[in-house]
Parts: sequence; C-alpha cells; structure tokens
Amino acid sequence: MGDGPLNGRPLLHIDALYKEYDNPATLVLDKIGFDLFAEDFLCILGPSGCGKSTLIRCIAGFERYEGTIEIDGKGVTGPGSDRIMVFQEFNQLFPWKTVIKNIMYALKINGIKDREEARGRAELYLEKVGLIDYRDYYPHQLSGGMKQRVAIARAMALKPRIVLMDEPFAALDAMSRNQMQDELLRIKEGEGMTVLFITHNIQEAISLGNRIMVMGRKGNIRESMDNPLKKPITPASEGYSEMWRHLNQMLRDGS
Amino acid sequence: MNKKLLSQLAFIIAALLLWQLLYNMKIWPKMLFPSIPTIGKAIVEAFTKRGLPAMALHSLKLLVSGLCIGVFLAFILSSLFSINENMAAVYNMIVCMFDLIPGIALIPVAILWLGIGDEAIIFMVIHSCIWPMSRSIIDGFKAVPKIYVEVGRNFGLNGIGLISGVYLPASFERLFSGIKLGWARAWRGLISAEMVFGGSALGIGYYITDRRTNLDIAGIFATIVVIVLIGLIVEYGIFRIIEKNTVAKWGMVH
Repeated sequence: MGDGPLNGRPLLHIDALYKEYDNPATLVLDKIGFDLFAEDFLCILGPSGCGKSTLIRCIAGFERYEGTIEIDGKGVTGPGSDRIMVFQEFNQLFPWKTVIKNIMYALKINGIKDREEARGRAELYLEKVGLIDYRDYYPHQLSGGMKQRVAIARAMALKPRIVLMDEPFAALDAMSRNQMQDELLRIKEGEGMTVLFITHNIQEAISLGNRIMVMGRKGNIRESMDNPLKKPITPASEGYSEMWRHLNQMLRDGS
Repeated sequence: MNKKLLSQLAFIIAALLLWQLLYNMKIWPKMLFPSIPTIGKAIVEAFTKRGLPAMALHSLKLLVSGLCIGVFLAFILSSLFSINENMAAVYNMIVCMFDLIPGIALIPVAILWLGIGDEAIIFMVIHSCIWPMSRSIIDGFKAVPKIYVEVGRNFGLNGIGLISGVYLPASFERLFSGIKLGWARAWRGLISAEMVFGGSALGIGYYITDRRTNLDIAGIFATIVVIVLIGLIVEYGIFRIIEKNTVAKWGMVH
C-alpha cells in the first residue's frame, strides 16, 4: 500500500519517463516517476491535455518513450497481455463476436487452447460483472455500461499483472457511472487486482483510489498521496469535502 | 409475403405485360421482337434440348476458379505491397492502371499468350476481379478502427494473427463488397471472352453467339434471361444470406 514497498520490488516502476510529440514540438510527459505495488488502486487525475492518457498508453506499450517503465523489473517494449487496457470507447469489444466469444478469444490467444476451460473462465467473470445471461448477445445489442462491464470481465479473465483503465466510465451517464464504480471496487477487492485508473472526475478518484496522483498541464506530477478515507467512500464520508476541495484547487491551478 | 417482394414481383409482371403488349402492336418484325411465350418456349428448349444448363455450369465453374485465384492473389499482392508506404504507393498505381483496362481489350493478349482454352478465360476472370478486390482490401484495412487493432495488440496479437483475428473481420463489409463487385465484373468478362473464343468446352457466352448465327432472337433473349436469373440467384441466394449472417448480425451495417 501507499508509497512504502511492503514486499520489496514494485509491480510497476516508472522513472524519468519523458515523451514529446514533434510537429509541433510539444512536451507531454516531463520526467515522470512513480511506483505501483501489488493490489494498489492508483487514480491519476488531471485536466484534459495533461498527458495522462499518453502516460497510460506508454505503460500499455502503444507509444514510444524515453525513460524507464518496468513491470516486475522488466522493461516495457510493446503491448502485452500482462497489462490489459480498458478503454473509454464502448466499441472496444469485437462486434463480430458474441460477448462470451470476445472473452474466450482473448483467452485462446493467451494460451488457453481448451475451449471448455476458456468457456468456464469466461462464464466465471461474466458472472462477476452480472452479465452471464447476456453471454450469447452481440456487443451492438448491449448498452454502453454493459459493454464496459464485458471489457472489464475480459480484462480480469486474462489475469494481467495490472489493469490499465483509461477513463472507462467517462462516456456513461451519472447513474450508471456510480453503479459501475461500486461494482469495480467490489470486484477489485475480490480479485486482488492492481489497477491504474485515469480520470478527470474528482469524485471518481476519491471513491476508487487508495492512492491519488494529480498531474499538471506541463506533463508533471503535482501531487501523489494516499487516500486516507475509509471505504465505501461517498460525498457524505468524513473528510470527503476537504479532499474534494483540495484536489479541485490543484486541478484549477493547472501547472 | 412482404411488401418489398410484392412490389418487385409486380414490377416484373408489369414489364412482361408491356413487352407482350408491344409485341401485339406489331411495331417490329417477329424476327427481331419475339413474344413472351416464344421466349418462354426458347428457355424450355435451351434447357431440355440444347444443353444450356451444362454450358452455364461450365461457365460458372471457370468463374468460381478465376474468382478464387483472383481474390487469393489480391490478398497476397495487397499484403506484399503493404510492407512500406513506397511499395503501397506503387501498388496503388498498379491497381489504378490495370483496373482501367476493359477486360475485352485484353482478349487478344489472352489468346496469343494462353490460346483459346480455359486458361485464357480464367485469365480474363482474374483480371476482372483482382483489381476491384485489391482496392477493397487496401481501403478496408485502412478503415479498420484503431481501437480494434490496439485491443488485439494488447491481447498479444501481431503479424498474421492480427490480420486474421482483427483486420479481416473488422473490414469484412468492405472485403465482401469487393467480392460482389469482383463477381459482377468477372461474370461480364467471362461472357465476353466466351463470345469471342469459347474455351475448352462450350459456355453460356458461346450459346448466345450460336443463337445469333442461327437468327434465333427468342433464343438470344432466353439466354439473357438465364444470365439475369443466375445473377439474381447469386445475389439473393448467396450474398444476401452471407450478409445476414455476418455484418448484419454483428450490427456493422444499418
């Protein structure tokens, strides 16, 4: 938990991560560094354009970068199923496969060749996100929230070292969003997942993260803190409003 | 029966009635403008006495072989030339140049290079479908949403796995319209070629030329009707069903 290494090596180690886009030359990530330990739930808050999406894409292996990104001490050189990404877009499921086949296919690629074993595992995780009755639906027959749940189930079924979530609930309505947050927390606790969660929503960061990081407009980390509030966290929780105000101030100040 | 089908049937009946009406008005000589019953009789005759089904099957056999080779080659070439951007630009130019050559203009080349056997006809069919198919592959792959590719790579897919697991299904709609366009062009190319030189066995293109030399106008129209029927069967009996079970089921067309 927190910044203190409980059992030695961090799961994710980032150091002096630097990224700029050319044309026009823009600095996106300015020598960022932080560690993530097993079962951490780190929420990264930042204004739009602060580079938080680029950060998570670098970790996922989709972007070239300078500096160090290591998973279990091994440098990240490209995408891999030890870091499964849950995207913001609803169409991250393959439309040509049913819900369960989407998950089974991902499992098959990752070495689970036995169909029954893959089916069993897919059903287990569909059960966890409450969509077992929709296993034979095609993605276009599901609502946005349901699609995100399938994407989460698919990510968990692959048992990655770390789940990367890039604003997965940002396109949902407020009610589904709250519901999804509760579900994600419940599942995360049950599975002992390690999660890195990008958001620009302060409430979301406070409710979900046991750690919160705030990024500034210049691709820097402005603050990294442990979340002292006791779960379940609601706006009525003690200390919530102080925390909200503090984070809000940070976001407003920008740099 | 649904309303669309009823309207389509009504149109066909109206067209037949109009034809027959024109025939009854005796504007043109019978030799040039046969009656509907005569054409019907010619169709029956073509099937029972003159062996048109065997000829049509022969033509379709050549067509399917040529289509398969053409589509396969289109995939190979499009993949080979997509290694880098310069190669892709070259292939794009090749496709633009060759797609413009009407099949019939290549018949002399086909005859001189390959003789007047089946090879020449298959050559014509390949030419008709390989270029539109290549276009569909190139455009289709380009239009695959980035997110599917990233999700696939995230799972650990790359190279061939990424192409067969993501690019092919994600661009299926365009690939399929390429196949439809390829089939339509190939069918035309094939009939023109058969009309000019026939091939190893007699095909449907030969039949229509043969009817002309016999001054059998009803037989000519009968062949045209059969050509149209084959087209309808392929469209409604094959293509529509494939569409219903793929892109329509996947919600990729609306």
